[in-house]
Amino acid sequence: MHDLNPTDVSKETDVPVDTRNDATAKAADKAESTAKAEAKAASKARRSKLFADLAPLIGLAVLAIAFVVVGTSSGTNMSYALETLINQSVIIVIIATGAIFIFAMGSFDISLGASTLVAAMVAGLVHNATGSLWLMLGAAVLTAVVTSLISATLAAVFNLPVFVTTVAMLSVLGAVASALVQTTGGAQIRVDRSFAREYDTLTVKLIVAAVFIALCVFLFNYTRLGRVEKLIGGNPITAKLTGVSMKLTAIAAFGIAGLGVGLGAFLTVLRTPTLTVTSASDIGMNILVAMVFGGMVISGGPRSRIYAAIIGGISMALLNQTMAIMLQGMAGGAGIAQMVRAVLFLAVVWLAASGFRTKVLPR
Amino acid sequence: MRITRKTVAGTAAAVGTTLVLAACSSTASPEASGSPDADGDAAALESVKMCVLVADVTSSEALSFRDYYTQYVASEFPVEFVYSDELADAEAEKTAMEGFIANNCEAVISFASADRPTQLDMAEDAGIYYAVATGALSEEEYETFKDYEYYVGAIGPDVMTEYQAGYDMAQYFIGEGDTSFGIFGGGIPYYLEMHIYRAAGMLAALAEDPTTSYGGATEMGDILGKIYADGTINIGDFESDVYELTGYLETWDFDAAWQASMADMVGASPDAILAVGTGNAILGSAVDGTGIQIGDIDAYTEDNLAAMENGTLGYLAGKFTSINGPIFAATYSAVVGEPYRTEDGSAFALSQGYWTATSAEEFQEIIDADNVETPVYDADTLTPFIAQGATFDEFADFVSKYTFADLAG
Amino acid sequence: MGSFMQRTTGTLIIPVGVFAVVWALAAIDGASLFSSGDSLLILARTTAVTMLTTMALAINLNSGRFDFSLGAMALASSTIGAHIAITYGGGFPAMAAITLVAGALLGAFSGFLYTTLRISPLVSSLGVTLLYEGFAFTITGGANISFTQYPELVSFGKSLTAMIAVIIVALFAVYMVFDRSRFGSDYRSLITGQSAAVSAGVKEKGNAIRTYAVSGALMGMVGLIQASSKGLIEAGSINFSTIGIMFTAFLPMFVGGYIGRFSNDKLGYLLGALSMSVIGLGYSALRMTSAEQSLITALLLVAFLIFLSNEERVTRWWRRMKAGKGAAPSEPTSLESVGAGAR
Repeated sequence: MHDLNPTDVSKETDVPVDTRNDATAKAADKAESTAKAEAKAASKARRSKLFADLAPLIGLAVLAIAFVVVGTSSGTNMSYALETLINQSVIIVIIATGAIFIFAMGSFDISLGASTLVAAMVAGLVHNATGSLWLMLGAAVLTAVVTSLISATLAAVFNLPVFVTTVAMLSVLGAVASALVQTTGGAQIRVDRSFAREYDTLTVKLIVAAVFIALCVFLFNYTRLGRVEKLIGGNPITAKLTGVSMKLTAIAAFGIAGLGVGLGAFLTVLRTPTLTVTSASDIGMNILVAMVFGGMVISGGPRSRIYAAIIGGISMALLNQTMAIMLQGMAGGAGIAQMVRAVLFLAVVWLAASGFRTKVLPR
Repeated sequence: MRITRKTVAGTAAAVGTTLVLAACSSTASPEASGSPDADGDAAALESVKMCVLVADVTSSEALSFRDYYTQYVASEFPVEFVYSDELADAEAEKTAMEGFIANNCEAVISFASADRPTQLDMAEDAGIYYAVATGALSEEEYETFKDYEYYVGAIGPDVMTEYQAGYDMAQYFIGEGDTSFGIFGGGIPYYLEMHIYRAAGMLAALAEDPTTSYGGATEMGDILGKIYADGTINIGDFESDVYELTGYLETWDFDAAWQASMADMVGASPDAILAVGTGNAILGSAVDGTGIQIGDIDAYTEDNLAAMENGTLGYLAGKFTSINGPIFAATYSAVVGEPYRTEDGSAFALSQGYWTATSAEEFQEIIDADNVETPVYDADTLTPFIAQGATFDEFADFVSKYTFADLAG
Repeated sequence: MGSFMQRTTGTLIIPVGVFAVVWALAAIDGASLFSSGDSLLILARTTAVTMLTTMALAINLNSGRFDFSLGAMALASSTIGAHIAITYGGGFPAMAAITLVAGALLGAFSGFLYTTLRISPLVSSLGVTLLYEGFAFTITGGANISFTQYPELVSFGKSLTAMIAVIIVALFAVYMVFDRSRFGSDYRSLITGQSAAVSAGVKEKGNAIRTYAVSGALMGMVGLIQASSKGLIEAGSINFSTIGIMFTAFLPMFVGGYIGRFSNDKLGYLLGALSMSVIGLGYSALRMTSAEQSLITALLLVAFLIFLSNEERVTRWWRRMKAGKGAAPSEPTSLESVGAGAR
């Protein structure tokens, strides 16, 4: 159609040149506007996605500013507060970073707090028996990895939904913790205070965190394991069809998470050398909250980010400290602090998911 | 209104701004510091920020202690109290201490005992004073920490007082002629020291009878050892020709098994149920109308008064509301530069005990004598011991006179 | 399908079997399951609470929506109801009405948040849990609400008739709403084919919000029963301490799903709850410690799930055994994956 030579036509048919140009021009215009609209939509989607990716970072920045402002205006000792911020968040960050391997593949583990406790108790008992820092570290990591692998293997061998296996492990580990405490004939497992104080330093924590996080970033972003996990999390059927071994991946993921739990347990013993059956009880839920604050998609898939735990863990610690300063002395203050935390939590999640709205409700 | 990203971002920013403004305004206005009243001495005292670690925030005892400090003491003396959240374990305590140190608390009064050594070390390192309220350090801990410069001391029921409380309660019911008992063990499986010692006292009182023993044990040390080893109380190990242990209940699970155990204990119709704590709250409605009496170690609340009036509660040993007056006085004195030290310059360990009521009249007398509006440890009573040059011996003597007869009789 | 005998056996085998085993174990130990006058009441009450919680969990979980906020809804609704009834009077009827309405509204709000924010339901429920726990704490300043001075408020929890009535009414109501109504068929179509149903015009948002509202009302009833039977409400529970109740509903939910193959899953939730309560009585009769109890419950959960997930293997093996030499094994029965929403 576009081959028509206007001069030829005008000679043959006596049709005015303008009308013929109109038709093609209109078609060309329409094509151009469609292309423009598509480009606009694509760039809007890219901006949305960018915004969603940045939302947790923006949240972190806002919280940091709020913390600094609130802290300095109420006379808080800021350098001490900063140090405690790191102290309070590092254990959650380490465990949550390892846990991302589990969540990225669409799985779920509710027993991480309980495994931290058991690993910490075993580590404490080993130290009390041997006096060795390295054996203590080894015991913590070994216990945690074994516990984690039990969940994964049970689920793999018996075809159970992993989440329910971890629910059962929660109870089992609780019973194990009670039994371990009773071995000392008392209410606690106590590690030597001076030993703990010697190693409960910023240097130790930062080294452990840096090494583990570097390992996780490498495994998640630069090896096949990370890609496979995101595939399984995003589309398990496709993953199966491509021949990926779901069970082996699950075992690898739980193993790495176990390593994180073990390191977290090791640092827990150093931080609080008195362990009771209620120690580490809120780690399980705090990890979930930290990951979500950091923009991690709980159902896993391709939008999983290994950095979510770091951003989220620090954000949470900032929020908690800021709330504590603001609500000191207020009766019922803890309730209000929790409600504020809930609102901010929902806001951050909403922002982080904003670029990916689906037609049907998410599940 | 459609929720867009802008709306949410705007809301978050608004929330953030509000927080900041609230913070600014709350620091601009004076906190609950003391308004110097007619008492010229109080006007001379400087304002002190004291932070309080609490493991229990919901029981009536904890609330009355808090009201005494924040409503009475804070209005009579130039002090600001900052309370922690409910601290369930050592990690929570450490986090709370870090917060206190960062926020320039000058002293910490601690009701939380999961990890006292860590609390003491942190306070010493940070240069803030630390005191133990309604509790005590173990002998070993006391030896380790008594020479810490910033450790003020401990005032409260030590484990022997707890043991004695359980002992006296059981003796009271034995004296009334009761022979069959149920025991509520509360936090024994969680190794709550005060509950274990109270229960041991009860068993020891019963074991005064020559035919009675608990797993062969009749002395405090052996009974305690057995309870610690078992982590519970096994009524099957109780032997006696005179007394019967008809039932045992522990913890606060409220699930099917727990409810069935409670029903069993009540259904066995003992003469009395000896509770290590929260007895009326947990068992009051279950024993209502059955003729079973409860012996409890708890606080002087309206609920407990009503229970004593209708005969459900037969014996109550409790910490009175203003019991923490003296430790406040000692801590304040330490902060302003006049700490109380023992003869050899160490921190002190002073004992305080319980007030008991065995009838509604006694109960009412106690409530009337000591409450948040008119406590027995009121400003007039405490002021002579707050940086007024009193000696340690005078202070110790003052604290030792804690009975109802001493303070309100 | 299958014969009446097959369906009845399938429905009753678990509760009857559990009862028999627990009774036998207690008898061997010389103890009795129904050792006190209150045993039937306890059985009825804990069955009611577990059944209601299981239903509340299942109606959302079947749609792939995990809800951590069940305990928080029970706490917040009973706190509101008790606070108003004690402060302004009205006795038990007022407390009950306010608690149930509050529960439904809290549930609906939770559903509203989920559908409006369009975030993962699990994450939304975490936020809701924090919100409702914080709310209950703020109302009371963290203090417990005690009913010992209001005996008229605790008589409900001590009445066997009332508990049985609750079970029957709740079972009937949930059955009618989810199995016999238009809402219910929309609900089921959304489960089996979400996109198709939405394209066909089913209002997904409205359906989800109403499901959450029902869940909230059920948990409101749970809060009411617990408050009335304990004589106190521990309103100072924050930091996710209310999520524990959700875990007690897992095993009854899976049992219910299994029984649902033979009759009806709602009936199954009741029978599952009843079985768990019988086991609870057994724990008490055998004087087991708290740690032992949770350990055994966990092992039972895993064992039952292993059975469910591997029924096919077991059946095939069984048929092979029966077939012996010569005869070919018949088709294995298909495996239904129960609770597939929890990956």
